[in-house]
Amino acid sequence: MARKRREIGKAGWRRTAFSTVISFIYFFPVLWIILTAFKSHTDALSTPPKFIFTPTLENFANVFARAYERGGAAVDTHFDLFFFNSIFIAGASVGVALIIGTIAAYGFSRWPLKGNETYLFIILTTRMLPPIIVIIPIFIMFRLSGLSGSYIGIILLYAAFNLPFTIWMMKSFFDEIPREVEDAARMDGSSEMKIFFRICLPQVKAGIAATAVFGLILTWNEFLFALLLTGRDTRTVPVAMAQTIGGDIGVRWGLLAAIETLFLIPVVIVTFLLQNQLLRGVTFGTIRR
Amino acid sequence: MAQLRLSGLTKSYGSVHALRGIDLEVEDGEFFVLFGPSAAGKTTTLRVIAGLEKPDGGTLTVDGHDLSGVPVKRRDMAMVFQSFALYPHLTTFQNLAYPLREMKLRRAEIDSRVRETAELLRITHTLDRRPASLSGGEQQRLAIGRAIIRRPRLFLFDEPLTNLDAKLRHDMRAEFKRLHREIGTTTLYATPDQLEALSIGERVAVIQHGRITQVDTPDRLYARPVDRHVASLIGDPPINLVRGTLKPSSAGAPAIELPFMELDGDRWREGLQALESGTELLVGIRPHDLALVDDGAGGVPATIEITEPQGDITILDLKAAGVPLRMVVAEATGARYTAGDSVHISLAGADTRLFLSDSGTMVA
Repeated sequence: MARKRREIGKAGWRRTAFSTVISFIYFFPVLWIILTAFKSHTDALSTPPKFIFTPTLENFANVFARAYERGGAAVDTHFDLFFFNSIFIAGASVGVALIIGTIAAYGFSRWPLKGNETYLFIILTTRMLPPIIVIIPIFIMFRLSGLSGSYIGIILLYAAFNLPFTIWMMKSFFDEIPREVEDAARMDGSSEMKIFFRICLPQVKAGIAATAVFGLILTWNEFLFALLLTGRDTRTVPVAMAQTIGGDIGVRWGLLAAIETLFLIPVVIVTFLLQNQLLRGVTFGTIRR
Repeated sequence: MAQLRLSGLTKSYGSVHALRGIDLEVEDGEFFVLFGPSAAGKTTTLRVIAGLEKPDGGTLTVDGHDLSGVPVKRRDMAMVFQSFALYPHLTTFQNLAYPLREMKLRRAEIDSRVRETAELLRITHTLDRRPASLSGGEQQRLAIGRAIIRRPRLFLFDEPLTNLDAKLRHDMRAEFKRLHREIGTTTLYATPDQLEALSIGERVAVIQHGRITQVDTPDRLYARPVDRHVASLIGDPPINLVRGTLKPSSAGAPAIELPFMELDGDRWREGLQALESGTELLVGIRPHDLALVDDGAGGVPATIEITEPQGDITILDLKAAGVPLRMVVAEATGARYTAGDSVHISLAGADTRLFLSDSGTMVA
């Protein structure tokens, strides 16, 4: 924190103020959503929009259990399960992608194949077309193999989405480690396994953190495949959120905003926790030596 | 303790021939220097010995045992890399302990050996710090420490001082000598710095373009280089190589015609006997063997082009009959001259060598 303050001081108050204004403009839609989450149904719909209102937690309560328009007892919406699903699926798929991707990246970096660059390019091409193009074959494959609606299916799919990025990203981090450090370990009597786990992995911690954050965000917000391939029990928040629109309750802006606000929290926490690693990761190689 | 023998070692990377047949014998307990310009094959030689690279041909034995097929970790050698190659995520203590942990030593033993080594290299105060926070000299000593802590039978040092500043390099040279005296392990030390090679090596091998051109003690390397390339690599400022022609003098004794003087060849009579008159030669004149003489005392006239004061001495860049020459004079003498001055010089000293102009080999 101390360092941050000094940097602000260095930029001067004019520039700081200027960037604050710009940031505010960018942040405004998010702020709008967060405010709406605390508004009552009438406040949410009023024009012009109200910026001063009596905040209510009603929307947040309604996320998890709500009564239908025509009255009656509150019904469990299972949103706790959907939040769990989102966290579990994103976490697991990024985890799988990291494990496979890191090992693959190390291989590409240290034990190049004949035509290494071509392989890497082919891996990247899988991300070059819009995913919707492959949705029909994937849908049919999932149906036939019984993966539809299962955790394992969507986790594997997301892991596959994240793999190309993970491999490319991690390869550049491994490329940064001087080979001599590995040779030193070799001379010190380490096996190749140990060199990977004890010498190389700890040095790319920042890269793993950065890759994880990008992967998590991508997976966290994914809607299309989740809509088609998750079932009632494995539904993620974006899908569930879309399904609260319409039906007999109409569009409840306050409720949607509340879901979105809650949905933001995990990403913000993870990014915040990893931010030091993230900064190091992004600037990796520019300051060393 | 180990005696190392390389014979006919070759190694290519694609079309680049890094080693073109290296033959070398390093005696048990010797401090042996591999000296050569960058890209001469020093690092490759060390890496092949260490087992980090497979040679394309040739043999490599330690104490008579063939090392081909012996994996790196069973070769019992330690290497200090030019980049130091410290483990950046580990503290000084952990860096030193790493090879010992791989040897599966007991904790207490590791602990005492780490402290002992840190003591020896004076880095005890850095034990809890990571390499990034150490000074260049401390990083260097840590790299050495990690190599010696295992007490291997052979040390390989790959330009360990290249990344340090001049003052530190000087101190570390003495350090290497001291360490070798204390530990006595056979050492192969690669360097592109002739000062380093001459001052710490017991014997020095000159390596050029993947071949060893000369193996000798430092003083003989300076006094009797096998060819013009070795001659120009050793000695600072570098040797003057002047074109000359062999011709019989009037008395029948050989003489060498230089652009600015005629050199009496009597001193090299034996070497010159086999050569025909008219043979083109390169005369190697050490800058220390040129002297200034009073005008009219029979010296060769020359003009000073540049003076380079070095503190205690001054290097004079001269031109005599259009031939550039470099000589060294005491600082007090050098201060009397500026560029453009005319002087007279004479050739003194016995270190002047003759090389064949075409092949570059030494004649006498």
